[in-house]
Amino acid sequence: MYLRVLDDGARPPAENMAIDEALLRGGGLPSLRLYGWQPHAVSLGYFQKVDDFADLPIDTVIVRRSTGGGAIHHGDEITFALTLDANLLPKDLDQSYVLLHDAVRAALSDLGVHCTRQTTGAACGARPDVRWCFATAGRHDLVDAHGRKLVGSAQRRLRNEHARVLHHGSIVLHKPALTPFVAAIADQIEVHANRTKLRGQMVLRIAAALNLTPQPGTLSDQEHATATHLIAARFGDPSFRNAR
Amino acid sequence: MRPNDRSYLKSHEWCKIENGIATIGITDFAVSHLSDLVFLDLPNKGSNVTIGESFGEIESVKAVSDLYSPVSGEIIEVNKDLTDNLEWLSSDPFAKAWMLKIKVTSLSQELQNAAAYEGNCVEG
Repeated sequence: MYLRVLDDGARPPAENMAIDEALLRGGGLPSLRLYGWQPHAVSLGYFQKVDDFADLPIDTVIVRRSTGGGAIHHGDEITFALTLDANLLPKDLDQSYVLLHDAVRAALSDLGVHCTRQTTGAACGARPDVRWCFATAGRHDLVDAHGRKLVGSAQRRLRNEHARVLHHGSIVLHKPALTPFVAAIADQIEVHANRTKLRGQMVLRIAAALNLTPQPGTLSDQEHATATHLIAARFGDPSFRNAR
Repeated sequence: MRPNDRSYLKSHEWCKIENGIATIGITDFAVSHLSDLVFLDLPNKGSNVTIGESFGEIESVKAVSDLYSPVSGEIIEVNKDLTDNLEWLSSDPFAKAWMLKIKVTSLSQELQNAAAYEGNCVEG
């Protein structure tokens, strides 16, 4: 089976979230989308309260994700969204994280970036005292030698008759302005020369972990249409962003 | 074996019907696979639910999941205490952790009895 690879550029925040949701709900082949953010933005975890971020600079662009967890300041990073039928991942939620994070760790290692997957501790959630995803590292998180989180991720699961999973992840290339406490790839290697190679290794390692064959692809007309609808009706709608 | 006084969806919601009122919740199997629950969002009393459509959402520390309705009808009661006591989902998923009571207009054809539902709870 193929893994459709969508090697995307930087898109506006609401568009990024809408495309990922369209891929989740579309029910198509497994897809791995790699992308960036223009403008840079803060994404809130699905259940987070927008009022908890009232102290951010007035011009901060904020979008709400459909995945959970804490907020992320998306600056110079590689964001990845894996969407697939749930039966292609281990049934156990924890094991699905182990599989995918080990693949990401291998991709980083291929480029000389060293990190480890934490095997103990509580997994991080969107609690009021932990508003930033990268503020604390928990079980399954990839951390650098100083214990700082290098890769953050969260899932959305559809459990109906067509069970699907959206796995969101962020790999920080350079430290974002609002969350300078994070680990970044730039701490260990030169980013500019390795950016394209890292995207390539991400594809190869994740595809291998899932026993799928990567193949470049594009969004279908239906996925485009769904994403366009979701921008207007959900992710670009201030009432959705401010709903909590 | 789960309680046989109610029926189940493959997506792990349970439904107990008494006098035209459905009480619904999620099973221990669903709870164990979500693990470490942190948020539950339920609809308001007086709103309607539809068979097979999402009626709420639940967040574990690593996944947000939809909850699916096994019936259509009007919500007449919501277990608001549950949202502040998510541990009930682990300790007493079939009683104290009920989520909604619904005045039923129609039932899902996908509902299974307890024995058939067991087949959806095989670890693999």
